[in-house]
Amino acid sequence: MSTIHVALRDVSLGYDGRVVLEKISLSVERGEFLALLGPNGAGKTTLLRGVLGLIPVLGGSIEYGFDRLASPPGYVPQRETLDPIFPLTVSEVVLMGTYARMAPLRPVGRRQRQVAATCLEQVGLPDLAKRPFWALSGGQKQRVLIARALAAEPEILMLDEPTSGVDPGASAAIMNLISSLNRGQGLTVVLVSHHLRLVRSLVRSVIWVEGGRAVKGPTEAMLAPERVGDIFGTLTGTE
Amino acid sequence: MNTLFEILSPDFLLRQALIGSVLVGLVCPLIGVYFVLRRMIFLGVALPQLSAAGIACSFFVYRVLVGPHQHFELTERGVAMIGSFAFTLAGLLILAALERYKETVEARIGITYAIAAAATILFVAADPGADAHMVSLLKGDILATTGTSLGVLVGVFSLIVLLLFACRKEFLLVSFDRDLAVVFRKRAGLWDGLLYLVIGVTISLGVITAGPLVTFGFLVVPPLAARLVTHRMLTFSLVAAGLGAATAFTGFYCAYRFDLPLGPAEVAVASVVLLVIAAADVVRRAVNKGRPT
Repeated sequence: MSTIHVALRDVSLGYDGRVVLEKISLSVERGEFLALLGPNGAGKTTLLRGVLGLIPVLGGSIEYGFDRLASPPGYVPQRETLDPIFPLTVSEVVLMGTYARMAPLRPVGRRQRQVAATCLEQVGLPDLAKRPFWALSGGQKQRVLIARALAAEPEILMLDEPTSGVDPGASAAIMNLISSLNRGQGLTVVLVSHHLRLVRSLVRSVIWVEGGRAVKGPTEAMLAPERVGDIFGTLTGTE
Repeated sequence: MNTLFEILSPDFLLRQALIGSVLVGLVCPLIGVYFVLRRMIFLGVALPQLSAAGIACSFFVYRVLVGPHQHFELTERGVAMIGSFAFTLAGLLILAALERYKETVEARIGITYAIAAAATILFVAADPGADAHMVSLLKGDILATTGTSLGVLVGVFSLIVLLLFACRKEFLLVSFDRDLAVVFRKRAGLWDGLLYLVIGVTISLGVITAGPLVTFGFLVVPPLAARLVTHRMLTFSLVAAGLGAATAFTGFYCAYRFDLPLGPAEVAVASVVLLVIAAADVVRRAVNKGRPT
């Protein structure tokens, strides 16, 4: 089995033909826990969406070390992108993750309900299954979305700003949960964040995104004290 | 009470119209659920009007190419169905294709409504054979429901309910989190297309059976009322359909009992139910707000 989970070769990404990131070459290894960091608007989410196949690749190629149809990535979107008009219970939201491995028109069965219940337990919310999703706190909603991503039984978990809009205590708990999924289950984790302080003690690698480029390196080197000053210079107002 | 027994009697003269009314009230909200959830309510105004324009256009084209159509003939409903469905689906697909340009969505729907309303009147005016009957068909000729048209309605609506039930997890996924559907490689475009097709057929048949006003009313009002009292997708759909059917029946009863126009009576009853539920919801929230947590 290849140790490379995702490999980008000279990849350019953007919207409506406008290039945001150009000639990105890097790889994500199995079991890795890495963060996409960088200033606001630098293209962190663009890079994540490109890898997820949500926006077309304008140039270069992305190779995947897993079957995206049989075992798609677990995806946690920014919470604000979901519309609260949908009447959904926590259980219904988590069950959506099980659709990843279900054939069209097949009804949700006992196995899917079991998987959803197990995932809710993993994120520490087994008692909230029947509660309306929108009645939960920000941190709880985020945990439910992580449970939904896990319900896809993925090899790789991709999260877009999982601690955005969540209070500091809940943010730390969410990051610890993600870290334990990486350590305990060997799940590859890629997350977008602007909480430098929160992720630096947990992630092993960092992809720094800025000025249309993305550079990857170990956390200690990428966020070394002499670099942090430069980084904080570009991060004004984001910490 | 006598009126109620009369309506429920197997020999009731307008039995087919009653069944047609209740069917429209039952099935339109099942589609309307997606209008409300996908925030396409204004589209619910424009599409029935577009459907009416399609009916008027098809009659005009039929007269030019074939000759005058005979009222109450099967071909008349067939021609109306083709025009209604073609206009509804074309409008739906064009508007859906432009859906990503969010900033101009209201303008597009408004323009569609204005053009459709103007086109309806112009096509009717241009057709020398247009008369009161055709105008009543455009408004919805539910009292003229025949055994054959009721059979078609039952058959097509049954198929639509089956499709909605069978595809509910796919329709929910593409409606709630389209990105996730794409990540799961679920052919989101295909499921969106199928949902639009189902919407197009339902609106076309709804407009031909009950007219644009009733179709729009039942697309929107029962789901809005149901959304206030439900927290699960399945119960949301079932309550919306149940409210639609119940208010259609009550509206029919009121129209028959007090000699009112049928369509407006049905929509008025549904709207009263929505207002009562909304008021109860406001009171409930106010009471809950005052309670210590």
